Amino acid sequence: MPPPSSLKQEFLKKWMMGLHICSSSKKNMSILERKKAIKLSADIALASARNGTTCWSQAIIVNASQDDQDKILVQHVLGRESERLMKKGSVLPLTSNKRIRSRKILRRSCGSIRRRARKTIATSPPKVVAISIAKKLIRKRTQLLKRLVPGGKFIMDEISLIEETLDYIISLQAQVDVMRSLANAS
Amino acid sequence: MEAIAGTGARSIHKAPEEELTALESLQFTDEIHLLMAAPPDSSSSFTALLELSAPQAVELLHLPESANLISNDSYKPTQMDDFKGSLHFPTDIALIERAARLSVFAGESNNKHSNSEKNSAETASDNSSADPEKAVKSEPAETEYSQPSGSDPTVHKKSVKRKEREKKAKGSAKKSKTAANESSDDAEQLPYVHVRARRGQATDSHSLAERARREKINARMKLLQELVPGCSKISGTALVLEEIINHVQSLQRQVEFLSMRLAAVNPRIDFNFDSIFTPEYMQATSLVDSNFPSMVMPVMWPEAQVGGNRQQCQQQWHLDILHQPGWEREEVCHNYITPENSLLSYDSSTNSATLHSSQSKMEL
Repeated sequence: MPPPSSLKQEFLKKWMMGLHICSSSKKNMSILERKKAIKLSADIALASARNGTTCWSQAIIVNASQDDQDKILVQHVLGRESERLMKKGSVLPLTSNKRIRSRKILRRSCGSIRRRARKTIATSPPKVVAISIAKKLIRKRTQLLKRLVPGGKFIMDEISLIEETLDYIISLQAQVDVMRSLANAS
Repeated sequence: MEAIAGTGARSIHKAPEEELTALESLQFTDEIHLLMAAPPDSSSSFTALLELSAPQAVELLHLPESANLISNDSYKPTQMDDFKGSLHFPTDIALIERAARLSVFAGESNNKHSNSEKNSAETASDNSSADPEKAVKSEPAETEYSQPSGSDPTVHKKSVKRKEREKKAKGSAKKSKTAANESSDDAEQLPYVHVRARRGQATDSHSLAERARREKINARMKLLQELVPGCSKISGTALVLEEIINHVQSLQRQVEFLSMRLAAVNPRIDFNFDSIFTPEYMQATSLVDSNFPSMVMPVMWPEAQVGGNRQQCQQQWHLDILHQPGWEREEVCHNYITPENSLLSYDSSTNSATLHSSQSKMEL
């Protein structure tokens, strides 16, 4: 885990760079536009600090590159890395969509198995019931976590999801600290 | 501390695997250190595959070179008489070596996880793939799928056959089971890694793989628990996950609020020079709720890059002074003046910075 202070430094530099680019392109933005620009450049700066090594940073960069206006910002902030990352990014969503579709088909076909499982749950001892409830909860919450973490829907296995969450939480915390100190100072 | 161990282990492992191996090593530092000191992979995986009883395993490991081990066909069959149908070893050795190098043995649970990851790390770096993060992603995929998806299905089948033979041999004698447990205990000190086969639990490859996977997940959940405040007391995966989700949601909401606040404060989203000076001082002060003005002490001249930015900013402000309405012009003028003050006079830098902050507060 890289030391947090260098992460904050790098984040701030790239964020300022992104903000300069945004403000130079547009004049007289409304408050909502400003907020969006601030948040967007902050997210891109955060993602570029990880620079494609993690799934969530890739997902942020790819999502930003979909929009034409934001693409310019991404290219400026990331430099040469952006082209390499966007090529990879285009590959990911295609393969994952197929996986998601096949998973859904599997799930529908497995519905009958679940009905049988429910009958066994009603008749089985309370310990087993508790375990199955816990498993359901865990499954639901991992799905929720997948939705929260950017690019989480492409992560298939639990272990890398937890690692991504770990890295994402660290980066988010650094982002919040920098933004809060800037907001307090101005 | 974790960070030190992580960075220490990371220096050992190769670049593309940084994130994963750092996290792995946080939990398996002992084992990975032992692995690094170990003889080449082929020997360690080979002995692991054999699932020998304790004394035999120890003897094999104390053999001087892995080459001797592999080439010493005469030595092995005498020991292998206990195992039924295990006379096919010489032909399998080459396959084992290949398989160990290709790291296809995801189905092999015994010691495979740290070993196979190390193998795949080496293969990934050997291939020098153009996309390191794909290698990183395929690495967990390889270790997690119980059926390897691809390169050597034939090798896997043969290994499965071999394991079944060994299982039959094991099932015949209970002693060998407890001995296997002991060997797994011994393995902690020996230079390769066993997944601990607990007494009374099934020792087939699937359950062992699942158990190793569970241990990995639990290790990472512990890391998350330490990261998220107030989570270390909670026990149980579901509740910990709930706390993690709440934490991530709160952080994301904070980012939204702060960006709205910053947008409200500044009429234009350029920030003043104080914020640009601070990157150099963030390392010195650990940037808790920092007082930016107090940190501005221009001991060293800013970098050329920052100087370049400043030039642009000054030009922008020149233009903006013409365009902006009245009160904004004041703020811009203040922004313009105070950096010059801070640049010209070292002593009054703090004064000018505090002056600026008080001015901006007034305007708010």
